[in-house]
Amino acid sequence: MTSVYETKYTLFNGIFLFSGSHTFILALTFVASIQALTPTHYLTRRDVERLKASLDRPFNDIEAAFYSIVGLSKLGVQVSDEQAACNFIKSNVDPSSVDSLFYAAQASQALPGCEVVISNETGELLLAAVSEDSSVNQIFHAVGALSGFGLPLASQEALSALTSRLSKEENVLATIQALQTASYLSQQADLSGIVEEIEDLVARLDDLGGVYLQFEEGLETTALFVAATYSLSDHVGTEPAMKEDQIIQLMNAIFSKKNFETLSEAFSVACAAGSLSQNRYHLPVIVVPDGPAAVSHHQPILRLQVTNVMSQPLTQAAVKLDHAKSASTKASVLHQMPFAVSEDIFELNFMNAKPASGYYDFSISVDGDSRLIANKVELKVKVSTEVGITNVDLSTVDKDQSIAPKTTRVAYPAKAKGSFTADSHQNFALSFQLVDVNSGAELIPHQTFVRLHNPKTGQEVVFVAEPDSKNVYKFELDTAERKTEFDSASGTYTLYLIIGDATLENPILWNVADVVIKFPEEEAPSTVQSKKLFIPKPEIQHLFREPEKRPPTVVSNTFTALILSPLFLLFILWIKIGANISNFSFAPSTIIFHLGHAAMLGLMYVYWTQLNMFQTLKYLAILGSVTFLAGNRMLAQKAVKRIAAEQSSRLAKYRTLR
Amino acid sequence: MSGAAGSGGGSVGSVVRRFLAEYSSGTASRLKVLDAYLLYVLLSGALQFGYCLGVGTFPFNSFLSGFISAVGSFILGVCLRIQINPQNKGDFQGISPERAFADFLFASTILHLVVINFVG
Repeated sequence: MTSVYETKYTLFNGIFLFSGSHTFILALTFVASIQALTPTHYLTRRDVERLKASLDRPFNDIEAAFYSIVGLSKLGVQVSDEQAACNFIKSNVDPSSVDSLFYAAQASQALPGCEVVISNETGELLLAAVSEDSSVNQIFHAVGALSGFGLPLASQEALSALTSRLSKEENVLATIQALQTASYLSQQADLSGIVEEIEDLVARLDDLGGVYLQFEEGLETTALFVAATYSLSDHVGTEPAMKEDQIIQLMNAIFSKKNFETLSEAFSVACAAGSLSQNRYHLPVIVVPDGPAAVSHHQPILRLQVTNVMSQPLTQAAVKLDHAKSASTKASVLHQMPFAVSEDIFELNFMNAKPASGYYDFSISVDGDSRLIANKVELKVKVSTEVGITNVDLSTVDKDQSIAPKTTRVAYPAKAKGSFTADSHQNFALSFQLVDVNSGAELIPHQTFVRLHNPKTGQEVVFVAEPDSKNVYKFELDTAERKTEFDSASGTYTLYLIIGDATLENPILWNVADVVIKFPEEEAPSTVQSKKLFIPKPEIQHLFREPEKRPPTVVSNTFTALILSPLFLLFILWIKIGANISNFSFAPSTIIFHLGHAAMLGLMYVYWTQLNMFQTLKYLAILGSVTFLAGNRMLAQKAVKRIAAEQSSRLAKYRTLR
Repeated sequence: MSGAAGSGGGSVGSVVRRFLAEYSSGTASRLKVLDAYLLYVLLSGALQFGYCLGVGTFPFNSFLSGFISAVGSFILGVCLRIQINPQNKGDFQGISPERAFADFLFASTILHLVVINFVG
């Protein structure tokens, strides 16, 4: 029966396998739609236990009983006390309520050996409820109850009632209930119309960040949708129209919540978990390392847990390493190696391939069942090793290079005997090599520090030892260059070598030797304060703008008196010249002019002390126009007098000439 | 008259004495009054400048306003003197001495307004 579907499946799987074979990190960056998604959320064993505990509660009413009993059965377990549960159902069923009958029917079906007896009237009631006049919810419960009690049901009529009712109730929950109803109807009826609703519902899902897919109505609705889809698809024999990525995104959304507020929510998640772990079409695979994904010589075996969404191990699967590549060099270290099964754990001895230490990208594929999806997994595995320090040479090198350097070899972990001196005419040098103890290859760890510590002052200076082209680490201490780091504090320093890396199992802190450092005594070293970086700094006093330097008051007063002296000189000169105001005519225009002019000068003073330009201009306009008019009249009169005087004098001159 | 001693100084001295004599006889008294005013303004400006050189330019705007007042008044006085000098009558046909004086007053008013604004 499934051969047609199997070939369809291998074709689909082939397409999925082809599209899924790209390398990327388990931490999930969804880059392009052709790359397959890896599940981020699933039910771990603890989550499953917690879910079972939240379902296995004493029930208050038949609805709670239904959720508990049926939910637990989907997870593969039974209620703690089956007999008591059966009795509870029998005593609490309400024959007049379709909902109560539905809960009783389904719960009793889930309990082995539990039969609820119902009368003919109840059967009639249920049949009557399957009509266009009832809501989809009622039709669903009635059909479910009839099916649960094993009563006959006219599937075609039920289907038509359902379809017509569904066209009136267009919401998501009603459609999901229609899917569930259809899974109770006979396969003879034409359920393709209902099956098409699955595709419409998938289109209504919201994509959150490419990771989650859920209905805006919430988690419960999404979980019920998944359960209903698979139960209908299994019943009808058609694969649900959902892509692999969509299924994984739905999984992520449904299993992201681990604590449930209501029993119905827990029930919905249990149904979804049950349907995703056991259906005819899609089986999501979860591959997790057992413990940290790290191997070393002490622990050479990489252990993987390969499970379904409920953390039930898939022992029938064939797990294979497609290829393992070094993360840094991208060179392939191993490929096409199968994993061995050992009690639900899949194992591979990676150290047999003698990998160098570092990080590796593993591409793992899980096969064995055509239903498997998300079965291509990328994993980052760390290979650790132990480091050994060899060829450690301490030497004092003369700056003039006149004397040959004295070299002392030290073996780890011993300390060099005697102390070494570094002062103004000799440098201290250190060289060493780092090798992988197990393979003998040279290592370049991340941290290779040389630490000099002064026990008396508490000073500590750390330098980095750099490898040269032959991977030999060298460090040289020149007192002249490094004066500032040490604050010119001479003394005996203990030298430590610090070697560390994420892939080293044995980080090293080794007291190699004592070094006496003498700095040239140019300046007396300031009291060595250990560099206190985090104490309050000295307060900055704000410098207010200093007032300008002014001359002393005596000087400025003297000048003020002095500046009036030309005025006195003026008056004296005027008197000497004989300037007078004897010609002053007391005409009104003259008086007004002089008063106006004086007022204008007074206005200048008032402007200086009090007014602003606008006010001054206003007053000046008034005074000015008055003064102008008066002055004009006055000057005109003067002009007339002057012309008359000139004419009379000219006349007089003319007369005398004649 | 010029003595034997300091003949160079003597010639300068005689030029100066002659100039003063000509000036006092040849200039109308009205013009001499104006000249005295001009001398006053000149001295005033020079004193202000000297003071500024001495003690520094601290309130620079005050120094500038005072100095510009002196300079401006001097210029306006000189203009007035040129315009009312009867010897220049030919150059200033349409401008009577009264008109010149009115112009002088008007310009002085504006100058004083600006100076007072700037003195601070």
